[in-house]
Amino acid sequence: MLKEKIEKIKEEALAETENAKTAEEVLQLEIQFLGRKSEFVGILRQLKDVSPEEKKEVGQLANAVKVEIQTLLDQKKKNLASTFDAKAEKIDVTVPASKLRRGHLHLLTQIQNEIEDIFTSMGFEIADGPEVEDEFHNFDALNMPKDHPARDMQDTFWLKSQTGADETRTKTDNPDERMVLRTHTSNVQIRYMEKHQPPFRIIAPGRIYRNEASDSTHEHTFHQFEALVVGDDINVGNFKFVAQQFFSKFFKKEIKVRIRPSYFPFTEPSFEFDISCTVCGGKGCSACKNAGWLEIGGAGMVNQNVFVAAGYPRGKYQGFAWGFGLERLAMMKYKISDIRLFHSGDLRFIKQF
Amino acid sequence: MKYSYNWLREISGSKLSVEEVIQGITMHALEIEGVEKVGSDFENFMVGEILEISKHPNADKLQLTKINVGNKILDIVCGAKNISVGDKIPVALVGAKLPNGMEIKEAEIRGEKSFGMLCALDELGLGSDHAGILLLDKNLKVGTPLKEVLGEDDCILEIKVLPDRAHDAVGHVGLAREISALDGGTIEFDYDGLKLGKKKTSSLKVSLEHKNLCSRYIAAKLDNIKIEKSPQWLAARLGKCGIRSINNVVDVTNYVMLELGQPMHAFDFDEIATAEQVEIIVRSAKENEEITILDGSVKKMSGDDIVIASKGIVLALAGVMGGKETGVSEKTTSIVLEAATFAPALIRKTKNKFGLQTDAALRFEKGLDPNLAEKAMVRAIEILTHITDAKLDGIVEQYPAPVKPWNIKLDLNYANSLLGENVPTKVSQKILTSLGFKAKKAGKNLNVVVPTFRLDVQTQEDLIEEIGRVYGYDKIVPTAQLISIKPPAVNEQRVFVRKVKNVLVGQGFSEVYNYAFYSQKDSENARLQNFKHLELEAPGNLEQTILRVSLIPNLLKNVSENLKFAKELHLFEIGKVFLPGENILPTEKNMFCAMLVLENKASKKNGQNNLQQTAFFQAKAFAADLLLQLGIADHYFATFEEGFEQISKSFCHEGRASEIRITGSNDAVGCLAEINPTMLADFDINSRVVFFEFEMKGLQAVSTAEREFKAIAKFPNVLRDVSMVVSDGRRIDEILSLIQTEGGDLIVDVDLFDIFDFADGTSSYAFHVIFNAEDRTLTTQEADSVMEKIISKLESELKVQIRK
Repeated sequence: MLKEKIEKIKEEALAETENAKTAEEVLQLEIQFLGRKSEFVGILRQLKDVSPEEKKEVGQLANAVKVEIQTLLDQKKKNLASTFDAKAEKIDVTVPASKLRRGHLHLLTQIQNEIEDIFTSMGFEIADGPEVEDEFHNFDALNMPKDHPARDMQDTFWLKSQTGADETRTKTDNPDERMVLRTHTSNVQIRYMEKHQPPFRIIAPGRIYRNEASDSTHEHTFHQFEALVVGDDINVGNFKFVAQQFFSKFFKKEIKVRIRPSYFPFTEPSFEFDISCTVCGGKGCSACKNAGWLEIGGAGMVNQNVFVAAGYPRGKYQGFAWGFGLERLAMMKYKISDIRLFHSGDLRFIKQF
Repeated sequence: MKYSYNWLREISGSKLSVEEVIQGITMHALEIEGVEKVGSDFENFMVGEILEISKHPNADKLQLTKINVGNKILDIVCGAKNISVGDKIPVALVGAKLPNGMEIKEAEIRGEKSFGMLCALDELGLGSDHAGILLLDKNLKVGTPLKEVLGEDDCILEIKVLPDRAHDAVGHVGLAREISALDGGTIEFDYDGLKLGKKKTSSLKVSLEHKNLCSRYIAAKLDNIKIEKSPQWLAARLGKCGIRSINNVVDVTNYVMLELGQPMHAFDFDEIATAEQVEIIVRSAKENEEITILDGSVKKMSGDDIVIASKGIVLALAGVMGGKETGVSEKTTSIVLEAATFAPALIRKTKNKFGLQTDAALRFEKGLDPNLAEKAMVRAIEILTHITDAKLDGIVEQYPAPVKPWNIKLDLNYANSLLGENVPTKVSQKILTSLGFKAKKAGKNLNVVVPTFRLDVQTQEDLIEEIGRVYGYDKIVPTAQLISIKPPAVNEQRVFVRKVKNVLVGQGFSEVYNYAFYSQKDSENARLQNFKHLELEAPGNLEQTILRVSLIPNLLKNVSENLKFAKELHLFEIGKVFLPGENILPTEKNMFCAMLVLENKASKKNGQNNLQQTAFFQAKAFAADLLLQLGIADHYFATFEEGFEQISKSFCHEGRASEIRITGSNDAVGCLAEINPTMLADFDINSRVVFFEFEMKGLQAVSTAEREFKAIAKFPNVLRDVSMVVSDGRRIDEILSLIQTEGGDLIVDVDLFDIFDFADGTSSYAFHVIFNAEDRTLTTQEADSVMEKIISKLESELKVQIRK
């Protein structure tokens, strides 16, 4: 008899579970059919009163049925839980999302990182030096003549002595004692060479200062990038190679480098270098004023006097040095019309990049 | 410097076109800054003669003229006043096209017909002179095509001459030599063959006070001078090169300067002579000695100035400008011509001191070859005696230490190694020869004799540059160098800076760059006036006079400016500050500072606590997150003591300032504070501002990139809450630290989840205390017993009142 009862419960339970519409109903059915007070559990309790054979037979059946009902209940629960009403839950996907606050690296930092990474990948070390420099490292060691116009007050920010009362310090002729805000990153060349022996290749990116009136294309504070490669037989061809590699990577297209004669006290021979126009590739367009070339910076083979000032023997090493302005590169790449924006602190500018 | 293409072609003998010259000079010699076509073919322009001049009936400023142009007589209306009957003038006929593109048409000007135009120099495209109608030589035949008078059209090259070539390439000859070399030739005229004649004169004596003032002084006396206008070809050449024609004598000195680069000067002999004799002395000026120079101004001189004097009278400010009374004038009949070589450094001082940027000073200050003075003198005499009836009386000179050509041994292997190109020896030799050097092969070397006009060539490398540039840098093939594959040393500071920046950007902060300067006023506004700043000797403007000792003042200015466009700000800067110290150079510290401004939202007093909504605590969250990302877990925020940069303390709101410390370290690594609100008005800011600041080096020292894996908890957490009422003055970190200490290893975290401030100054704090054991499931009893210990300690030690 028990067997029949169980079969009947099974049929009922399976049918009702099948028809259940909500999770709540399923829960009720679970209690009703398998709960502690259910008929089914009642039957199981009666098992202790039957013969061992029947007990075994009914017990097996009961177990199988319990598993079957439970499985269906679980299945139903899962099905009901994963159904939803798309219509009722519809949203207007065109509602604007809330604005996230996003931080921005300064454009110059971005460009500087990019440049540093390219040079690092080419095996260059990044060197640093002070921004307040003595006259020796900024001028004398770079073979700048004593009366070179760049040393004039109009071109260079000279600093008063630190001690205040003793203003004679900047009046002294001793180039180790007169302070300037560095006018180029070339002071780093000297400071690096004082501590290292060739062969080496370094870049020295950094902030420099010129005592200039500022306008949309001139600033008294700007950033320079300088590369210095020294070894036994470094030559002009090596410079052209490195420059070409660098600019091709930087502009992500093939760039040609052209060098023209120029003059700098710290290099001999000295060059101006141009790169093929990044817009037209050299055919001539408005960006390069139809020249096909863009003027980028200065370069040259390190003057032996500079090596001597840094403590190397004359005539032992050969090297090239080159430098260019970061701002100019950025202005070119992003068509920025006013150089003063870089130091304006204006977030409306900074957040564009 | 302006150069005439026609003139260059004449000297160089080169057949290169303008375009070829431009390209060649650019790639092999000097930078060309501008090119300007001048003149035209002057079709429909001719020489006319003024027959009549009468007043224009309807216009005071205009005149009516009748002009004979040979085949007819034209009525032309003209505004210029410098014309008179009988003058020969350039006439643009109807149909003529001016170089500026304007076409001459029949016109009616205020009711009077006009059939052409009388031309000034600028209208002919021959300079900028618009002083009046160009008056031509009266001997010219009426009706002569103007082209025959003015010469052909020309091209003016504006060239940037860098300091190393300022002694030779500023003359047409120097540049012509470059053009010849492009062709592989040499200039035809033998300028080195120009030698002073032997003719002396007793009317002239020259002496030098010291050869350091002047290495060579040549004076020549010429008689039978008649001051007149220069011939048209001469005036035109000067005009094209930007020099106004004055008179025949002055024009010749300027012409020679343009040709050779040697400035010259002419004195009126009779004005400077005493008893038919001139005794020139070149000497240092005496202190406070005065001279009235050509421009009419009086200059008070000192020992650094060089003067030309005679018998106690100062004739000229040597190498800069002549005296007003001693120059040539219409009355002049005899002149003393000067060609000299003055000390460059002294000329530069004088030029700068008096602000006299004269053509002469600009050349002398760069240093000149003393042998150039001789060539210039010979040329000037030659031209003057050719174009006028002047007669040379004689020449005297002082040249105490004659300069001779010098030798350089050029190692050809070195040359090729430096250039990275094997330039054939013959080619190198030819290049040097065409530039005026002598180059003889001797084994692997070239023995090079450098002409004295190439003062800049002193070393092998100078010669290598000459060879390289003329040979063509374009021909040098880009070549990779052989290098070691050893990876470069990493610049840890820069890596760290980049990391910090990236974290801040991730937190939504934007990076600014500020100047390294600010004004005295800024330092006062930022309460920094008591800190020593480095001062600029000659600041460009008063806004930027001192070097920053802190990033804060300029950041506050950024805040002020940006608040005009935004209500909330998150910005930061990393940059150097400059702290004067014991050494000659200041201490440069790389500082990081972030600033935060939140919109002022209405805050509820008492009741709901709003502390955690304030900018201070947001900034604290950012700072703590930054430190965690930098691997600085053991930091804590302490009340401000004497630790971190004292400079920073001056900005702080005393009640809202904290030092950021590392467990076990004496020095603070940074600070977090609200800006002292009394400063804000001075910066025109009306929101509260919070900043946090670190010194990068100190921060880097405690930062660690190392991480160690910690096993993930295997057993469930047990959570207990505790809330308490605390009297004013009790800090939360005391409560937190007591709970941590008492709970020991079993406590994994304590979270403050509720604060409520009562009107009486007491506050209610509620914490979640989270327990966990690594090796077992904690029982309720264990957790409860620890909690009891904690509670009793809180009550006994911190006197809090536990809410049960």
